[in-house]
Amino acid sequence: MTENRVGDPPDALLRAEAINKNFGAVVALQDVSLQIPRGEITGLVGDNGAGKSTLIKIISGVLTPDSGVIEFERKAANFTSPAEAREQGIETVYQDLALAGNLAVWANVYLGRELTVGPKILHILDKRAMLSKTGEMLERFIRNVPPIAEPVELLSGGQRQVVAIARAGAWGSKLILMDEPTAALGVAETKAVEDVIFGLKRQGLTILVISHNLDQIFRLTDGVWVMRRGRVIGYRQTARTHPDEIVSMITGAAASAGAGA
Amino acid sequence: MTLGRWSKLAALARRQGVLIAFVLLVASMFATTSTFGTYQNLINVLQQNSIIGIIACGMTFAIILGGFDLSVGSVTALASVVGATIMIDLGVPGIPVGVIGAVAACLLVGATNGWLIAWLGVNPFVATLGTMTVVRGLIYVATNASPRFGVPYSFTTLGMGRVFGVPNPAIIFLIVAAVLGFVLHRTRFGHYVYAVGGNPVASAQMGVNAARVRFAVYVLVSLCAAISGIILVGQTASATPQAALGYELTAIAAVIVGGAPLGGGRGRMGGTIVGVFLLGVVANGLNLFGVSPFWQPVATGLILIAAVAFDGYSKRGGFGFV
Repeated sequence: MTENRVGDPPDALLRAEAINKNFGAVVALQDVSLQIPRGEITGLVGDNGAGKSTLIKIISGVLTPDSGVIEFERKAANFTSPAEAREQGIETVYQDLALAGNLAVWANVYLGRELTVGPKILHILDKRAMLSKTGEMLERFIRNVPPIAEPVELLSGGQRQVVAIARAGAWGSKLILMDEPTAALGVAETKAVEDVIFGLKRQGLTILVISHNLDQIFRLTDGVWVMRRGRVIGYRQTARTHPDEIVSMITGAAASAGAGA
Repeated sequence: MTLGRWSKLAALARRQGVLIAFVLLVASMFATTSTFGTYQNLINVLQQNSIIGIIACGMTFAIILGGFDLSVGSVTALASVVGATIMIDLGVPGIPVGVIGAVAACLLVGATNGWLIAWLGVNPFVATLGTMTVVRGLIYVATNASPRFGVPYSFTTLGMGRVFGVPNPAIIFLIVAAVLGFVLHRTRFGHYVYAVGGNPVASAQMGVNAARVRFAVYVLVSLCAAISGIILVGQTASATPQAALGYELTAIAAVIVGGAPLGGGRGRMGGTIVGVFLLGVVANGLNLFGVSPFWQPVATGLILIAAVAFDGYSKRGGFGFV
């Protein structure tokens, strides 16, 4: 519990303080405190049931904590809905529910934020503007922009995930949360998605990514938080740690060495 | 070269199969019977299919949304019985009251459907089967299952009159189709109907209020049924409690033949209009060739199955030469 103070990241975009969350008798999160450094890619690892997804859902406003404080940009940010979190600049990329397959790429990018023309009350879609702006937006993060007028269901799984991630970054958001962004993808597609994630970082965005794939964590992240059984075990700067150390933190093999929980 | 041409043709057949079938059908009708192309017959086809057509326009929204509405036949009958009863009681000055009363009664049913489906999460089949049965039953109770006669004769202008030779119901159908086509394809609301029909979870995550979209669609379907019911009064100056029996299935068939699968997320207003007239021209053709009208549902059913089978077949990889 105390060990995580040692490697605390300096400039935090988001800060969670003493978050607790129970589902009935099940303790999902216990006294969870962590910081997400601004402008970096931060990993969040832990075994199944460690509480990673619950934490992400609390940050993004899907769940509310039983107690504890979330601070975003130094302001209290206990969101009660994903829309509220999005308004403040926190976007979430969901595993595979993110896109409507029957809609074109541009329509997915603009879903819920459509541009309209003419009399306000009619909400007539400005398809031409959305088409051209989608191209511009995606080019900021993606080298090979998929055909934006085609329905998303015609794209490959990797292209879809690329679109979903680029959409999350396209809206002036500051923090992007990703839960297993490449879980269902092949090697080449994973590479493409990781390139997009680096593209987001280059644009100054902050990213928190959950992954079970430690190779990926070491490729992508600047720092990594480890959780076990609803608690935060510690933070490590990726450049100064080793997969073995992270694994032992995940499994608890290092518990006796000082995690103390 | 030839292969390229064939595959282009096949792609065209896949996308525009119904339209091509419709054009071929109309062409062969022109070729085989001289009566088909007469002004009177074409007017008949328009007149006979306008009421189903208006309902099908609304049904298109429900099907793209991933549902459908079985209550439209009952709601059409409700509109005509409520409208006719008020007009009979109040006479000519009561005509607007009758129209408003009919629309209000139908919107109430539509709102009930929408509430059940959008907020209580009742399956659209169950919800609208329920209201279909309840509404029809209430109509029988209120009328004692006997028709209402004596609507002011002037009201038949709506159902029987023509403007520049085009029957008023057909004009109303065209207006409804144009307005709803615009709403479906050009406005944000129509866009949300596709989004919710394609992936309700993703739509909700992106801030689309799926429940409100569903509610609005079922109210819209009932509004279309109300318009049809009022035209029905205008055609007969009366109302029968048994009116519009089975219209729901004909309307759903027309929408599906027009290319909107029951799974939702797909379909176009133009396809629905072609679907309506495809079924309508087949019925008209059977009639012109002196085939018993009892064969008409057989033809409708076969076309429905053929259209869906063709759609599935072409999606699975097309014909041998693709």
